[in-house]
Amino acid sequence: MASLRTTSRLFKAARPAFKSQIRTIAIGNTNSTAHPVDPSKTSTIKEPAADPDSKIKTFHIYRWNPDEPSTKPRMQSYTLDLNKTGPMVLDALIRIKNEVDPTLTFRRSCREGICGSCAMNIDGVNTLACLCRIPTDTKAESKIYPLPHTYVVKDIVPDLTQFYKQYKSIQPYLQRSTPAPDGKEYRQSKEERKKLDGMYECILCACCSTSCPSYWWNSEEYLGPAVLMQSYRWIADSRDEKKEARKAQLDNSMSLYRCHTILNCSRTCPKGLNPGLAIAEIKKEMAF
Amino acid sequence: MASIVRPTLLRQSCLKVATKKAFSTKPSPTFPAINKPLSSVVSKDAVRSRFMKEAVPSSMRVAAFHATGRRPILPPLPQSVNGTANEPAPVPDPSPTHGSYHWTFERLVSAGLVPLTIAPFAAGSLNPMTDAVLCGAILIHSHIGFEAVLIDYIPDKRLPKTRKAFMWALKLATVVVGVGLYEFETNDVGLTEAIKRVWKA
Repeated sequence: MASLRTTSRLFKAARPAFKSQIRTIAIGNTNSTAHPVDPSKTSTIKEPAADPDSKIKTFHIYRWNPDEPSTKPRMQSYTLDLNKTGPMVLDALIRIKNEVDPTLTFRRSCREGICGSCAMNIDGVNTLACLCRIPTDTKAESKIYPLPHTYVVKDIVPDLTQFYKQYKSIQPYLQRSTPAPDGKEYRQSKEERKKLDGMYECILCACCSTSCPSYWWNSEEYLGPAVLMQSYRWIADSRDEKKEARKAQLDNSMSLYRCHTILNCSRTCPKGLNPGLAIAEIKKEMAF
Repeated sequence: MASIVRPTLLRQSCLKVATKKAFSTKPSPTFPAINKPLSSVVSKDAVRSRFMKEAVPSSMRVAAFHATGRRPILPPLPQSVNGTANEPAPVPDPSPTHGSYHWTFERLVSAGLVPLTIAPFAAGSLNPMTDAVLCGAILIHSHIGFEAVLIDYIPDKRLPKTRKAFMWALKLATVVVGVGLYEFETNDVGLTEAIKRVWKA
């Protein structure tokens, strides 16, 4: 193929070396005629050099675009300088979206772990991107996937329709028919209130449910740890009067008893709650 | 230009040769890394094969080991939403025999198995009655365990016939094992004694 090139192109290929030679000669002369403007009358802005102590980290992010349904999902790599990025994975994602690739899609809202929007699988663990620090080891590359075993809307946005429908099915609100004794409010003792600690904090990010293998296989019928913990939150509430109806809802082979105490839920919960314990409490209450 | 002189450099011809070899089950000299150690191959072949391996995608290299293509077990179906997104998921009718009673019974059997297993060895005496109770408990325990496996992994909604077939097969297996244990208990030495003898053998 080389024979097809014209001689001028061959010359062009060799030109850079030739050019630099000329420049060295010109610098060697230190003649003012070599500069179009006298160096004392101007200032030179140099090309920004790579920061020697930059911490470049690679992120592999799951990409899938619903507009091209025939293309397979793929992993895309982004490199960021950690010195210029915030400490959390969500900061990195936002920086990628702002500065590198605006097509990257993810949910986020509060950036402080109270909305549960940015739940995703980071380095193999379901967690909230806003509560997950970027591992500072730059040799290890981070991998970010959507929540496992969910239908993907786009990139790392999972479809949580079934999760929310299941949450709705447990009737997550106070149900009682008798009016309050003082006609004002439903009172609770401190001990009764204490039972709800560790359950009312749940933000329904779906990290625990999507980490549960049993929920992976039977998400149509098994309610999953997050919804079961919320169910117990209302069963344990002293003000609620539909306890038996709530328990009867769970009294079948699928809704509750597909829990095999794998306890991935308690391990992965980004808020440090314990859905496994709540499920065990329901089982205990229903046992006899 | 070089491709005219050496047609093997063309990607297409490479792929053609490679796929033909990759899908044959016979050991081929073009895949020395797979079939035999590199050292036993003459240098010319080795050079060519290294080039081939790069041209062949990894999926085809995997195919060299398997006679059939990959077939995932129960691949996920396209998403289907039951009703609208705002309706709650359907709540099944309560059936304590499959729910709370079942769970309580299962736990009692599991907890009961611990002393039943230890008792004959700790006491040192072999009572045919404890032996029989132990056999029955093990049988029920394993039946419930396998049943849970079937419920977990064979979805009733998607594979109702397979689920039914497996459930009946499990029931049959439990009956067969029960009859076998009964025969062993009545006509032979019994479970505990057998374990004792195997332990000392």
